[in-house]
Amino acid sequence: MMLSPENPHSADPEFETAHAEEFVQQLRQITDTLPSRINVDAQSVEQGLAKLVLTLIEFIRRLLEKQAVRRMEGGDLSPEQIEELGLALMKLEAKLQELKAQFGLADEDLNLDLGPIGRLI
Amino acid sequence: MKLYVYYLSGGTSVREAESVSGVAGCAVRLMSVGQLTVAVSEFAGDAVAITRENVLAHERVVRSVLRHTTPLPFRFGTLATEAQLQSYLQSQQELLQSKLQFVSGCVEMSVKIIWPGVDTIEEVPAFRTNHSLDSTKDGAGAAFLKAKRREVLVEQIATAKAAEIASWLKARLAPSIRKDQVTIRTRDKLVLAAAHLVDQSFLDNYRRELRKARDERPDLHFLTSGPWPPYSFVNIDLEFKTQFGVS
Amino acid sequence: MRSTFEEVLVDGEVDSLEGSDLSLLETLDHVLNRGLVIAGEITIAVADIDLVFVGLNVLVSSVETAHEVLREREQQATLPASNASEVSAGSELPEIE
Repeated sequence: MMLSPENPHSADPEFETAHAEEFVQQLRQITDTLPSRINVDAQSVEQGLAKLVLTLIEFIRRLLEKQAVRRMEGGDLSPEQIEELGLALMKLEAKLQELKAQFGLADEDLNLDLGPIGRLI
Repeated sequence: MKLYVYYLSGGTSVREAESVSGVAGCAVRLMSVGQLTVAVSEFAGDAVAITRENVLAHERVVRSVLRHTTPLPFRFGTLATEAQLQSYLQSQQELLQSKLQFVSGCVEMSVKIIWPGVDTIEEVPAFRTNHSLDSTKDGAGAAFLKAKRREVLVEQIATAKAAEIASWLKARLAPSIRKDQVTIRTRDKLVLAAAHLVDQSFLDNYRRELRKARDERPDLHFLTSGPWPPYSFVNIDLEFKTQFGVS
Repeated sequence: MRSTFEEVLVDGEVDSLEGSDLSLLETLDHVLNRGLVIAGEITIAVADIDLVFVGLNVLVSSVETAHEVLREREQQATLPASNASEVSAGSELPEIE
């Protein structure tokens, strides 16, 4: 469909916001994480595998965390159990951070998007 | 020597792009392959630096034809040899034609919404800890778990809110939109980023409804921009493959 | 392999006008994140990660970042640099309402 020459709509984007600073901050965060996503070229097989494995572990870790929180909420756990569980999860989180660092992967790298299945994490 | 690729359009006599200066200051020219036209410029080097000038040049070239025809934009930094480009266009001819058809006559409008209310979540009743969870003698493990509890609750509330906002926005704007692409982030403040594919003939309607919607919700912060070329709508079917690095 | 880094563009006075930052970031969010990709042998050729970070940082930079970047570049072995191009912010960027 062609725009008639009389059509007043300019092709230049207009911007409208009353909260520029807030959005600048948010957009900076988005653009700063982009580099790792832009490299669409196939990474080494090892890197690809590491990414997959770590994503799955991360997924399970978060499930475990949520489950622990639920049990704590439910009054299911003694203070000692809460402490033990918390420490274990802490260590798991720290270990995973270590592994991610080893492979040079950031949190954003692990976010598998399965399309219609929804984000894994 | 590689070519920098800007956009793709149907066979058209629109030559606007050729009067716009492209990336690295190079001249833009149009190439035809079958029914398709591609805007390219010469590029020396292997990588395109993300600079203000290059980014604006890219967008300027793609936008130059928007008034006359809706192009399929390429991602910033797309380089190819002439042969690679030809082969891509030939093998993907049908798919690209159907994408062109899909966006024909449309522009992309962008709506981003921040829900500042996320800062007040901790005042919500659900956050008040059970008596048994009082933390006077917390060890590191317990403190950790309680912090996680807070995180989980915040995320739940934010997710529910985001869903509510998304469906509200969709309901308000649906009649003017051919397609939408919505991303929701609940980790920090940016709740929702929506891209709307809007037929040019519905643009006035869309703008009017959007203005009304903004006025309706003083609890939300809006950033709207547009019109844009349809960057967000050219890859919908490819997204899945790309994420896994499958070509 | 470090690719040729064309030039880091830094505004003379490094205006951190929210308006122009915002429209630039919005533009970035569109052209970097989306658009057609030529798959297979052809990859999206972007400056390698370090440069991208540097590029993005300077793109929306504050004065300190710009100075930092320039200082770093002086310390590294540099490729022949072209002259810093001028950036005319005004006419190129869309109006902020």
